[in-house]
Amino acid sequence: MLKGAQVRYLMKESFAGFHRRKLTTGVTILIMGSSLLVLAVLTLATLNLDHLLAKARSSIDMRVFLLESLDPGQVAELQPRLLVIPGVKEVKFISSETALHEFRTSLGQDAGVLDFLETNPLPASYHIQFTAGARNLDSVRQIRDEIAAWPEVAEIIFNQGWVDALEGWSARFRMANLITGLIVFIAVVFVISNTVKLTMAASSRLIQIQKLVGATNGFIRLPFLCEGMLQGVLAGGLAMGLVAVASSFMQNRLSGMIFFSVEQIAGFIMFCMVLGLLGSWSAMRKYLTLQSEL
Amino acid sequence: MKRIDPREQEPQDPRAVIGFYHVDLAYKDQTALQNISFTASNGEFLCLTGPSGAGKSSILRLIAMDAFPTKGQVIIRGMLASKMNRRKVPLLRREIGYVFQDFRLLDDRSVYDNVAFAQLVVGVKSADIKMNVMRVLTQVGLWNKRHRLPRQLSGGEQQRAAIARAMVNSPKILLADEPTGNLDPVNAQETIDLLFRINDSGTCVVFSTHDQQIVKAFGERVIVMNDGRIASDIKRKTMVDRTANLTDRMYQPGELINA
Ligand SMILES: Nc1ncnc2c1ncn2[C@@H]1O[C@H](COP(=O)(O)OP(=O)(O)OP(=O)(O)O)[C@@H](O)[C@H]1O
Ligand SMILES: [Mg+2]
Repeated sequence: MLKGAQVRYLMKESFAGFHRRKLTTGVTILIMGSSLLVLAVLTLATLNLDHLLAKARSSIDMRVFLLESLDPGQVAELQPRLLVIPGVKEVKFISSETALHEFRTSLGQDAGVLDFLETNPLPASYHIQFTAGARNLDSVRQIRDEIAAWPEVAEIIFNQGWVDALEGWSARFRMANLITGLIVFIAVVFVISNTVKLTMAASSRLIQIQKLVGATNGFIRLPFLCEGMLQGVLAGGLAMGLVAVASSFMQNRLSGMIFFSVEQIAGFIMFCMVLGLLGSWSAMRKYLTLQSEL
Repeated sequence: MKRIDPREQEPQDPRAVIGFYHVDLAYKDQTALQNISFTASNGEFLCLTGPSGAGKSSILRLIAMDAFPTKGQVIIRGMLASKMNRRKVPLLRREIGYVFQDFRLLDDRSVYDNVAFAQLVVGVKSADIKMNVMRVLTQVGLWNKRHRLPRQLSGGEQQRAAIARAMVNSPKILLADEPTGNLDPVNAQETIDLLFRINDSGTCVVFSTHDQQIVKAFGERVIVMNDGRIASDIKRKTMVDRTANLTDRMYQPGELINA
């Protein structure tokens, strides 16, 4: 276990690396911050797309228009048949009169044009809402195909285009996110590894003397690990801060835009910390063994 | 068939803090030591001498397990170099003090912090660190200069600070590689006086020098190295007067015997 004096020493040493090379460290954090920024922006975009997609999905519904030739008995008999289809949550009948009335209200001032109609052109329909589990394109299409085969049905309409497009984009963003994540991962680990190598080269005297007086490799490594971790956290914090500022500007224009949750921010910073750790770890694996001589 | 190397059959002195048994050392393909055998016991004061490149530093490096023998065996405080787990080497180093010609102090921190550093690394409690640092800095006469940086000290004072750092963990062995190499005779004498005092408290001291005047004046047991081999291992019949002055301490005729 580390003693109080050792903890104080480690803290001091980890910050000393920063202090001794303010410019290098500053520039490094800026570079890493900007590559992490790209990742954060992409992640936020994916998050928002997913949010939109979820919204669009929840509004998926279906209108089943019926043949005009059906008599009221045939129409009524359809309702229980629709309700037993798996994934269907609610079925509401909209008679042609109700449809016309709704149409009239939606036209408002221009409703007068409807007075010229001799017969009601709007067919009766069933409005179907789906259970949460069925609110995706595959299930909805399946249900549509099933109902479309019924002879009583004239036409089926649902808002698939909207969900379709979003699903395509969401998949693309996910892929872009993954690839960027990988590149940023490698880049950040590499950059941190290089700065830690620099620190270690600058501290070769210190390392030598630590070995001389019997410090374990673990103890010698600690301040460098802390330094890499700190750099990762600072770069991640910088990226997060920039995204926060940018998105607060955007929110004025794009209403309904969402930002990371506290857990997601914490997760992102943790990710950056792990990058820092990995970077300094890889720097040391080579360097410490090379420096074994007193 | 596995042959047993006859070298490994040799009886080993269990009292020896340092034991070398037919040791060879090569750096890559450069041979540095050949067939080195000697032992040193607790409280012994050993002087290594010989021309440049003879292998003095190599012997000290082997003792600190900073190098490992290519052949033969090195046993330090009961630990066999060839069987040593490299992760355990730091634990051995805590029992060994090591000083060099170039002092090797950290120039960005005070004398106090330099000495305290050795204790910190080892994990001594803060309160004990203070006590121990005070003790050794008083012993080497630097307590009132404890706040100075190394560059604000004379060479002799820097070497004393380095010795204080080597002493602070109460080592069983003190290695000094040409500790007087950068010092004038007065400071050299002070340094050697300090080594004697450390030795008086029971620490085995091994120090190397190529200064023949120092060897003649202070050598109690002298191992002369030449070209990677031990040329002679000689002990003085009578004890050196450790309190005398450098110029008074020359060998008397007939004073030497084979060790
Ligand atoms: N790290 C090394 N790599 C290769 N060869 C080395 C290394 N260190 C020492 N040697 C060689 O080993 C031999 C013994 O060196 P060593 O440093 O032990 O001599 P020394 O007696 O301490 O000399 P000096 O009085 O100059 O310090 C020399 O021939 C030297 O060139
Ligand atoms: Mg040497």
